[in-house]
Amino acid sequence: MTITAPTSNLIEAADDEAALEWLHAQGCTDGLPVVIPTQARVERMILASGLDGSLSLGSMGPGNGATTISAIATNAVMAGCEPDYMPVVVAIIQAILKPEFDLTEMQGTTHSTAPLAIINGPIRSACSIESGFGALGPGFRANASIGRAVRLVMMNVGMARPGESDMALLGHPGKFSYCLAEAEEASPWEPHHTSLGYFAEQSAVTVVGAEAPHNVVFVADADDPDSPERLLRSLAAVLANLGSNNSHFGGGAQVVVLNPDHADVLHDAGMSRRDVQERLVELATNSHEAVAQLNPTFAGKPGSTRQALRSADDVIVIVAGGVGLYSVVMPSWAAGGHMNSIVHNEIITDLSCEIPFAQT
Amino acid sequence: MAKRGKATVALVTSDFWPQGDFIASASGMPDLPRQQVPHPVAGSGNEAMSSLAREIAPKLVATLRGQDGGAA
Repeated sequence: MTITAPTSNLIEAADDEAALEWLHAQGCTDGLPVVIPTQARVERMILASGLDGSLSLGSMGPGNGATTISAIATNAVMAGCEPDYMPVVVAIIQAILKPEFDLTEMQGTTHSTAPLAIINGPIRSACSIESGFGALGPGFRANASIGRAVRLVMMNVGMARPGESDMALLGHPGKFSYCLAEAEEASPWEPHHTSLGYFAEQSAVTVVGAEAPHNVVFVADADDPDSPERLLRSLAAVLANLGSNNSHFGGGAQVVVLNPDHADVLHDAGMSRRDVQERLVELATNSHEAVAQLNPTFAGKPGSTRQALRSADDVIVIVAGGVGLYSVVMPSWAAGGHMNSIVHNEIITDLSCEIPFAQT
Repeated sequence: MAKRGKATVALVTSDFWPQGDFIASASGMPDLPRQQVPHPVAGSGNEAMSSLAREIAPKLVATLRGQDGGAA
């Protein structure tokens, strides 16, 4: 099968069913049914962006398609987005097009990585982007369709097609959609995006290429003064798991999603978010010998210590999910020219206008 | 490198050849010299690696010199 972009912006079909089958046949879907991007639906989505449809945010690799607002809107319609989500989708696309994200290389890698979008600020409630129980699972339209829109843009503008230009050996379910909000109200710390320089009243997205969530079980014990340190060691054990690229390549951004209970354990011990990040850098290491037993090529010098995190800035620590025993770690690809950098972007909402109800 | 005028030939394993076609075409360099090698190369061992190097080295040199017969 060769990859070809549609030669016309408008395709005529007898009905929705025929249009859907055409989109499936062209490889324009993620395998699931999509909302048919009629002209009226796409125009509403463009209107919601507050931007000109012909505006291009840049070319997207590996296919080097023009990432126009119109193209983003088309894929957002297909993904099932509400028009109100459009500023979020645009902000994520702008973020992943930053050169330091290495999107072209990421799309083509054999590793299983997908852009994880973390949403902060007032847009979370405005769009009902979930941050609590099951936020990365099914059941939440905004989370599901925003992440799906990003993936469809990556497929239809960036032309990432499995086995031909997206060479992930297996992929992971986050390649369908990988989007959640931080549970700012349940967090004992300041919102994550303020640590990146944004004001709390701004909305922002942070994006990092990440593997699927790896579960970390921890039972807190208020009578044990070592409880916070045990939690940090549990997280570090997964951050530095000996099967990961991070452990072997010695770096790459990773993500820790603390459930509110676990965040409280660390906060109550007097730790700031930064304290947690710095301690995780210290703990997420392996010895030369441990790495050498598995992959000698990456082991470094005998007697040396292999760090899974290069610096505190390389580990995102957010609070999300329901309360309980489990937090998660998302290891990463740890490759590309910028070694799996974190990117972020403000979500601009005041460009959009109220969208009239559409009949089509 | 090729766009910068450097003599270039890409080694691509057979399983990744279609991806190479796509990337070369998308990059506006459909005729970028490439040499196909069996898949996998990584982990095939020193003997197999040396044998492959002996086999393809003349082709790579020929390609880099702009001679015919280098690319698969």
